[in-house]
Amino acid sequence: MTQQFSNMQKDTHKVLPDVWVVKIGGQSLMDRGRAAVYPVLEELVAAKNSGTQFIIGVGGGTRARHVYAKAMELDLPTGMLAKLGGAVPVQNARMLQMLLANDGGIMCYPDDFEKLPLYLRTGCIPIMSGMPPNEFWEKAESGSRIPPNRTDAGVFLMAEFLSAKGVIFIKDEDGLYTDDPKKNPDATFIKKCRAQDLLDSEQDDIVVERAVLTYLRRARGVRQIQVINGLKPGQITAALSGEEVGSVIVA
Amino acid sequence: MVPGVIMVAIGGKSIMDASPQVIHGIVDQIVQIRDAGVPVIVGVGGGERARHTFAVGADLGIPPAGLARVSGGAEEQNRDILQFLLAPYGAVTFIKDHFQDLQLFLREGMIPVCIGQPPYHFWEPPPEAGNLPDNGPDVGLLMMAEVIGAERVVLVKDVDGLFSKDPKMCADAQHIKKISVSDLLNRNMPSLPVEKEMVRSFEKMLSVREVNIINGQVPDRLFECVVGSEFVGSTITR
Repeated sequence: MTQQFSNMQKDTHKVLPDVWVVKIGGQSLMDRGRAAVYPVLEELVAAKNSGTQFIIGVGGGTRARHVYAKAMELDLPTGMLAKLGGAVPVQNARMLQMLLANDGGIMCYPDDFEKLPLYLRTGCIPIMSGMPPNEFWEKAESGSRIPPNRTDAGVFLMAEFLSAKGVIFIKDEDGLYTDDPKKNPDATFIKKCRAQDLLDSEQDDIVVERAVLTYLRRARGVRQIQVINGLKPGQITAALSGEEVGSVIVA
Repeated sequence: MVPGVIMVAIGGKSIMDASPQVIHGIVDQIVQIRDAGVPVIVGVGGGERARHTFAVGADLGIPPAGLARVSGGAEEQNRDILQFLLAPYGAVTFIKDHFQDLQLFLREGMIPVCIGQPPYHFWEPPPEAGNLPDNGPDVGLLMMAEVIGAERVVLVKDVDGLFSKDPKMCADAQHIKKISVSDLLNRNMPSLPVEKEMVRSFEKMLSVREVNIINGQVPDRLFECVVGSEFVGSTITR
C-alpha cells in the first residue's frame, strides 16, 4: 500500500488552467463609481465575448477601511475585523453582478466555488467577493489588528488553487512603484521585479497586500501577478491577450 | 407573539458611527434594561457605510431595489459589532430565519440583536421620490415590533427627538414633545430624524402604540426612556 504513494513532490494538478482570475479594485475602482467601473466592465465583456474565460474577484474599499477603523476603536480582535470587512466586497460583487447580468454575470459565493465549471461552460461571468472565507479564523499579525488576508490575497489564493492562466489586479495606478505615487511624486515605476526583492526592500507602500507576495514566493499554480491601470482604456484587453502591460511581479 | 417586549432601534449614523464612549454607554444601558426585567430586542441601522453604498450604487445606475439588496451589508456589520460587545451579557444575533424562535432567546434572558432593514431585497417597491429605497431600518424595526406585538419602539438617534425644523441647522427649531402620527403626517415636515416611510407605516399599525425618539449620545437617556417614568425626547402616538 505505502509503495503507491511517496512523499516526493509531484506536479500539482491544474484545476482551471485556461481561466484568468481578474480583480476589480475596491478603493481604486468601485469607489470611483460609474466613470471608472463602466469602461472596465465594457472591456471585460468584450474580452469574454471574444472567447476569453475569466472569473472576477471584487475588492472592498472605503467602507471596509471605515469598519476596520471603527472596530479597532472598540478593541475588537482581528477575527472580528475579518468578518466585518468581508461584508463590503460582497456588496460590491452584488452590484457588479447586477450590472453584468445581461452579459452573463452571476454571483458566486464561496460555497458555490466548485460550480465554476458550470458557470464558465454556460458562458457566464462568475463574480465573487475577493475576500477569503477566513472570518473568525483570520490570523493576526503583530503590530496591527487589520486582517492580513484581504481581497488581494483572497483573489490570489483562488488563482493559485485553480492554477489559473494568470491573475490580474486592476487598480488605478500604472502598476508597482517604489512608493505610493499618490503621496510621493518622486516614486518611480517598477516594470518587473521578484516578490522576494520587494519584501526585502521593506517598502512601506506596495500596490498589493503583502500577503500576496508571501504566497507568490511559494506558489505552484501561478508564478507571477500582473497589476494594471483600469483607468486607462485598453490595458485590460492587452493584459488578457497576454501582453505584459503594467507591472509584473514574479515568484 | 411576545407581550411586554420593547424594540430598541439603535441609529447607525447616530450611535454606531459615533465614538466608542457613546457605543459603550448604549451597551451598558441595554444590559441595565434587560437586568431590570424588560425583555428587549435591539435592532441596528447602517449609518455612513449604508449611505456610501447608496452613493456609489446610485452613481453606477443600480436600481433602488438593487440598492436595497446591498445596503443590508452595512447593517450586518453594525449588528455584529453590537452583538460582540453585548455577547458577555447574553446577546445573540437574531436573523430572519430565526424569527419564530424569538421566545427561545427571550425566555432564556438573551438579548437578540438584529438588522433593521426589511428583506424586500429585489422586491423593494419603487420609491415615492428619488433614487433610494423608502424602506430602511426604521421601517423594518417598526414592522418587526408590530408582528412581535411590542407596544413601544424606542429610536435611539443623536437628537432629542422631533423639532419644528432641523435643530442642527436652525437655532429657532422648537422641540415637539408629543404628537400623534396623523398630525405629524399632516405637518409634512421637510426634515425628520426618522424615515418618512416609518411614519406612514406607523399610522396603519395595530400593535405598536408609541414610538419614542431620544438622543442616545447623552448618558442614561435610553435607560430613562425605557425604564423611567419621564424622559427627554419625543413621542409619536397612534
